[in-house]
Amino acid sequence: MNTVATGVGAVLAGDAGLAGLAGGTVPSPEPANPAAQLPGRGLRYKDRATQLGLAAARAALADAGLLGDADELLVPPGEAGVVVSSNLGNADTVCRVVETIATEGTRATSPMDLPNASSNVIASSIAIRFGLAGPNVMLCNGETSGLDALFWAQSLLVSGRCKYVVTVGVEPDNPVVRRLTGRDRVLDGAAAVVLELAGTAEGRGVRTRLGLGPYRRTADLSGCLTGLAGAAEVPARWYTSDAAGAAPADVLPAVPRVDLAAVWGAASGALGVLQCAAAIGWFDGGGSGPVLAVNGADDGPATAAMVFDRSSAR
Amino acid sequence: MTTAITGMGAVASIGGNVDEFFAALCAGRTGNAPLRVFDTERYRSRNAYEIDDRPAGGPDTAMRTTTYLITAIEQALRAAGMSDDLSGVPVLVGTGLRELRSLELWHRDRAAFGPDDLHFGAALRAKFGALTTHTFSNACAASLYALAMGADLIEQRSSDVVVVAGVDMISESMFGLVERIHPKAPDVVRPFDRNRLGAVMGEGAAAVVLRRADPAADEATALLRGVGVNCDAYHVTAPSPAGMATAMRDAHRRAGVTPADVGLVMLHGTGTMLNDEAEATALADVFGPAARDPLMTATKCMTGHTSGASGLLGLITAVRALRDGVVPPTIGLDDLVDEAEGFRIVTGEQATHRARRAQVNAFGFGGINAVAIVEVDE
Repeated sequence: MNTVATGVGAVLAGDAGLAGLAGGTVPSPEPANPAAQLPGRGLRYKDRATQLGLAAARAALADAGLLGDADELLVPPGEAGVVVSSNLGNADTVCRVVETIATEGTRATSPMDLPNASSNVIASSIAIRFGLAGPNVMLCNGETSGLDALFWAQSLLVSGRCKYVVTVGVEPDNPVVRRLTGRDRVLDGAAAVVLELAGTAEGRGVRTRLGLGPYRRTADLSGCLTGLAGAAEVPARWYTSDAAGAAPADVLPAVPRVDLAAVWGAASGALGVLQCAAAIGWFDGGGSGPVLAVNGADDGPATAAMVFDRSSAR
Repeated sequence: MTTAITGMGAVASIGGNVDEFFAALCAGRTGNAPLRVFDTERYRSRNAYEIDDRPAGGPDTAMRTTTYLITAIEQALRAAGMSDDLSGVPVLVGTGLRELRSLELWHRDRAAFGPDDLHFGAALRAKFGALTTHTFSNACAASLYALAMGADLIEQRSSDVVVVAGVDMISESMFGLVERIHPKAPDVVRPFDRNRLGAVMGEGAAAVVLRRADPAADEATALLRGVGVNCDAYHVTAPSPAGMATAMRDAHRRAGVTPADVGLVMLHGTGTMLNDEAEATALADVFGPAARDPLMTATKCMTGHTSGASGLLGLITAVRALRDGVVPPTIGLDDLVDEAEGFRIVTGEQATHRARRAQVNAFGFGGINAVAIVEVDE
């Protein structure tokens, strides 16, 4: 059962969108403006990560032909699920609230922070806004979380728990995130892809943009490459992890490398989904051949890798 | 579904392992106590259901969530007759609050902490050599959501053995915000009582070992028949009875059972106004006249609301209740809400009860629902 992507969205600095993401340069330093892409009310108390995730999800759902003109869902609600990957989405809310309690007590906190203090606020907010009543999964799994999220979305589809999964990777930029990660350039953005089984896409006559190939999660890069050897002997393109030394010169030496974090900032749990969206942009622009995406570091908890293919997408 | 539960582990305010935990529940013993570590001057709430492991009046300790997660997994592995080597075994963790308490201590008190400490991958690799580790942050439904994802791995034949765990320790930000939304701060959890005031947080960790069921080997503690998951897609904090009912029906369908086959219901029962009404309404809708048959109980009155751990703690309680033929009581329930009229919720003393199948409910923030069906041999 092949899993394919049928819709994609990206919300990035400089209003870059998919073309900008695949192009590999930031068009302008203007921060992403998710509110411009989310008509109507209801954003006031949503944190930055939730707003970014909502905007990316909307773009991907619309691109996949699942939303009508008034953003209404065009398939039965229970058939549509959500998987979101984010590690740092609510770190700033948690730190701000605990500081307020220490200085002024609980009365000074805002009840509007309660949903934002729960790490799954992004995934559930997407479900509520677009009426997606299928499984709703919030993955906070570290540097590999983005590729892991694609794997779990596929698992939901293969298990028949739903027919469509909007899969979102999102991280916000703020002082807490910078201090915690020790990075001075961090992503402030989101990417989303709609995944479904190839047969579902074929049945509703939509164009498929990318196929999910095999996924490996193991101790290090060489373990992942060994595990994927049959699927991508020589990939056409390699979206690298942003860890230091993540793409040694002697590994896959002839393969062009793309370090999205070098362009957009350290992407943490968003990186894997960002890579998938970038691969779709590259395929859309005529690229072909298997694409390798890697998350994580040899000295981290684990390394994850996935192959994206155009050939399994028709 | 043919998934066996071959080992279980549990830690909570009322007991440090499954035997202690279940005995305390059956005895009606509560873990409710005056708030120990947070600066009580800052709060109206005076009580919680903490695991009491820190020196009185001393500072809080970082990384307790990780510590108790590992303890619960170790217990489950021992019970399943497995070693500590999980290099080839997926470990799925459901948690509402991750290590956010340690993030707070890092932010405010400069405790040592890094981004990889927020999830549990690094600690699980260091302790068990585990490489396939996944942290699901699905609020109060987290551990049953992780159970569904783990059962799917076994059903898809991508793994023969999966460890599923749930864990949460109280964070100050969540404790403070939960208090903030209550007009009157609750001191105890009183599920389904007309005079309930709301949820009070508790601490806990739970783990189970899942294995593809082998009919030839008599190793199963219980069978996991099915787990249904969904989302209300309705409101961030207000639950929807319709969404809960859909999750229950999905669980029954996956398990191949009808409401009449369910002999015990482990209620989510947070003691909040909205949850208990919605849960009772959903049960009455799904079970119809059969809602008067199964025994039911809600144990957060003794454990507090253990958030992401609560679903799996409920499942472990259900398995022990089915195996031992004893159902723990719901304490503090004096005046039953109208919506639960006719339900056989155990109150007072523990009840002797023979049943083969139990339903376990877990519902969370954002309207996410997870319902599991477990079974033991007759």
